[in-house]
Amino acid sequence: MTEVAVHIDDVSKKFRLYKERNQSLKSAIMRGRKSVHEDFWALNDISFDINTGETFGLVGDNGSGKSTLLKCMAQILYPDKGSIAMKGRVAALLEVGSGFHPELSGRENIFLNGSILGMSKQEIVKKFDSIVDFSGVSEFIDQPVKNYSSGMYVRLGFSVAIHVDPDILLVDEVLAVGDETFQQKCADKFVEFRRDGKTVIIVSHALGTMMTMCDRLAWLSHGELQAVGNPESVVAEYRGVAQ
Amino acid sequence: MAVSSEFKRSRELFINLTQRELKGKYKRTVLGQLWSLANPLALMLVYTFVFAFIFRIAPPVGSPSGLDAFPLWLLCGLLPWIFFSNVVQQGMGVLLANEGLIKKVYFPRNVLIFSSAASLAVNWGIEMMVLIVALVIAGAYGVIVWLPVVIFFMFLLAVFAVGIALMLSIANVHFRDTQYFVGIILQLGMYLTPVIYPISLVQVQSDRFGSLFGVFSLVDLYRLNPMERFLSAFRSLLYDNTWPALGDTVACVLISAVVFALGWVVFRRNERKLAEIL
Repeated sequence: MTEVAVHIDDVSKKFRLYKERNQSLKSAIMRGRKSVHEDFWALNDISFDINTGETFGLVGDNGSGKSTLLKCMAQILYPDKGSIAMKGRVAALLEVGSGFHPELSGRENIFLNGSILGMSKQEIVKKFDSIVDFSGVSEFIDQPVKNYSSGMYVRLGFSVAIHVDPDILLVDEVLAVGDETFQQKCADKFVEFRRDGKTVIIVSHALGTMMTMCDRLAWLSHGELQAVGNPESVVAEYRGVAQ
Repeated sequence: MAVSSEFKRSRELFINLTQRELKGKYKRTVLGQLWSLANPLALMLVYTFVFAFIFRIAPPVGSPSGLDAFPLWLLCGLLPWIFFSNVVQQGMGVLLANEGLIKKVYFPRNVLIFSSAASLAVNWGIEMMVLIVALVIAGAYGVIVWLPVVIFFMFLLAVFAVGIALMLSIANVHFRDTQYFVGIILQLGMYLTPVIYPISLVQVQSDRFGSLFGVFSLVDLYRLNPMERFLSAFRSLLYDNTWPALGDTVACVLISAVVFALGWVVFRRNERKLAEIL
C-alpha cells in the first residue's frame, strides 16, 4: 500500500513582487519597461511524496506557501523549478461554486459547474440526484441561483465538487461551509473517500481537526519544508516553534 | 489516451460554456433570442436611410442575381462584419471576465475564447438564415445553391476572428488598454472596409490619384485589409450568386490559417501564466 500518488520533486515557485506595475500601455512606454519587480520565492526546493489512500495535511502560518503548493498540484500555478507528478484524476476544492451563472437555475448550474470540474455529461446525469440530495436544495433546484441564500449557494457548489469522484482530492479550507448537519455530511463523505482508498490532501489552520483526520502532515514555513511525518509529532514541533 | 480524454473534456466544457452564454444572455427578457436580430435590423434601417436615401450611394446590381436593393446588399457585408467585430471584442475580454474561474479551477483556458465565439456564431447563423430567406423572397433564388460555399466562408471568418481574439485576449491581460484601443480600431475599421459603400467608389478615387510612388494604387493599399476580402466573397456568394474571385478565396484561406496558427501559439505560450498575471 505504499504506492505514490503525488510525487513532489524539488519544487520551487517564484512570484514577482511589483514595485511598479505598468498595466497601461502609456505608463509602460513612458517608463520604457513593463515593470519593476523583485523575485519572491513562495516555495523553495520542496520534495516529498504522498502515498495513495492517504489523507495528507499541509499546515503552516499564513504566507507559508501551503496554498501555493496546493495550487501547483491543481495545475493552476506552475512551478518554476522541479516537477509534480500526480497519479490519477485530480479534483480541487479551492473555491466552491466557481463558474455558477447567477441567472441560470440550480439544475443548469450543476451541469455547467460539473463540466468545468471535468465531469462528463453522462456522469453528471448519473450523479444528479445524489448531488441534489447531498446539497439539500432540492426544492429550489429550478430557481435561478442568484435567489439562493449564500449557504445554499455554497452547499450546491460543494456538493457538485465532491461528486467529481477523483483519485486525488485537493481541499483548501472549505470544510467550514454550511450548517452543522451539512458539515457532518461532509465529514462522512471524507470518511467514505478514505475508505475507498482515495488520496485526500487538505490545507488548513485547524490543527485539531487536522490531527484527527490526517494520516500524515507536512509543515511549511516561509516556503521551506520543515517537517513531514505523523500528525502528533509534526503538530508538536509546529506548536513548539509557535510558542 | 490522455490527449483524447483531454479533448473530450474540452469539448463538453465548450458545449456547456456556449450554452451558458446563450441561455444567460437573454434571460428574463420577453423577446429573448429575438433581441440578437434587433441590432443588425436597426443598423440596417439607419444606414439605409443615411447612405442610400440621403447620400444616394447605389450598390452595384447583383449579377447574375439581378438584385438591386441597398438594404440587402448592406446586410451581406454588415452581418459578417458585426460577427467579426463581436468575436474580437468579446473574446478579448473573456479572460478578465472569468478571472475567478481561471484562478480557482484547472481547465483548458482556450475553451473560454472558443465558446464565446461559438455563442456569437449561433446568433450570426440565425441572422444569416433570416437574410437568406429575405434574399430568396427578393428574387435571388440562386443563393440556395451557394449555401455550402457560404457556410465554408463563414467557417473561415470564424477561424480568422478567433485567431485574432486569442492573440488580443492575452495582450489585454498584460495591458488593459488593449480593449479600448481595439474598440476604436474596429470602429475605424468598419469605415475602412466596404461595409456601407461599394469598393467601386474607392476605385474611382484611386484612379483619380493614379499610382502612388509608382508602385501601388490607393485601392491596392485599401485591399490589404483582410476583411475587405471576406466581405467581397460574401457579397459575391449572397448578393451576386456567383463564385468569389479566386484571389479573394486564396487570401481568405491563407489569412485565416496563418492568423489562427499565430493566435494558437501565442495563447499556448501564455496560458500557464494566466492565473498569476490576472
